[in-house]
Amino acid sequence: MTTATQTEGDVTIAITRDPALVRTVRLVAAAVARRAACTDSLIEEIRLAVGEACAVMIGPDESDAAPEEKIEVQLQTEGEFRVTVTGRVDGVDSGFADVGVDPWALLQGLSDDVDVVETDGVTRLTMSWPL
Amino acid sequence: MDLSLETRQESGRTIIEVGGEIDVYTAPKLRECITGLVDEGHRDLIIDLEQVEFMDSTGLGVLVGGLKRVRTHEGSLELVCTQERLLKIFRITGLGKVFAIHGSQSEATAQ
Repeated sequence: MTTATQTEGDVTIAITRDPALVRTVRLVAAAVARRAACTDSLIEEIRLAVGEACAVMIGPDESDAAPEEKIEVQLQTEGEFRVTVTGRVDGVDSGFADVGVDPWALLQGLSDDVDVVETDGVTRLTMSWPL
Repeated sequence: MDLSLETRQESGRTIIEVGGEIDVYTAPKLRECITGLVDEGHRDLIIDLEQVEFMDSTGLGVLVGGLKRVRTHEGSLELVCTQERLLKIFRITGLGKVFAIHGSQSEATAQ
């Protein structure tokens, strides 16, 4: 299930932890970035970073995902392009060692400002780009 | 766009032409394709990414897994890719040094 709300400049999307829905979030993120007059290369970076952050939240083994848990993606364009991805996950880097690729390396390469905070089992990942 | 996969033989290699998006949802299909080919005895793979519109770290992970798998059978896995958006991902993750990346299928099969 996907729900989306839009206020002044902000867009928030909530998806269930279904890998098939990550593409939907990427498309929305690219559309918001385009509306914020980002360059084509920045739109591509944001699209990749948002998808990557959602993939991290879902985890490499989708069978482990709790489908009822939501991932919320907030896109803000006030002064900078800020993405906040929030979800309840069992350790955002668990399981990726077997995959052979560190998604954090990719996220940190895409945004100069990546931060992860975990509070009471809820992980909040934020990234931003200057506009 | 979903993932499309087409395989064929050329010059003793197996070429996999990938199209669409390789992400957390579709990457398992590519993994199954590579695993199936290696299990059938295809040891030298060329994966053509020219028609790929999007790839995330899950897709990169599948390529790395494929490389490990063919190497255990003394095989090879090389890539065809000229798209800057994908080459950038390889550079950021350091995988540009791990894979042989060619500019065309003919260049890859000529090796």
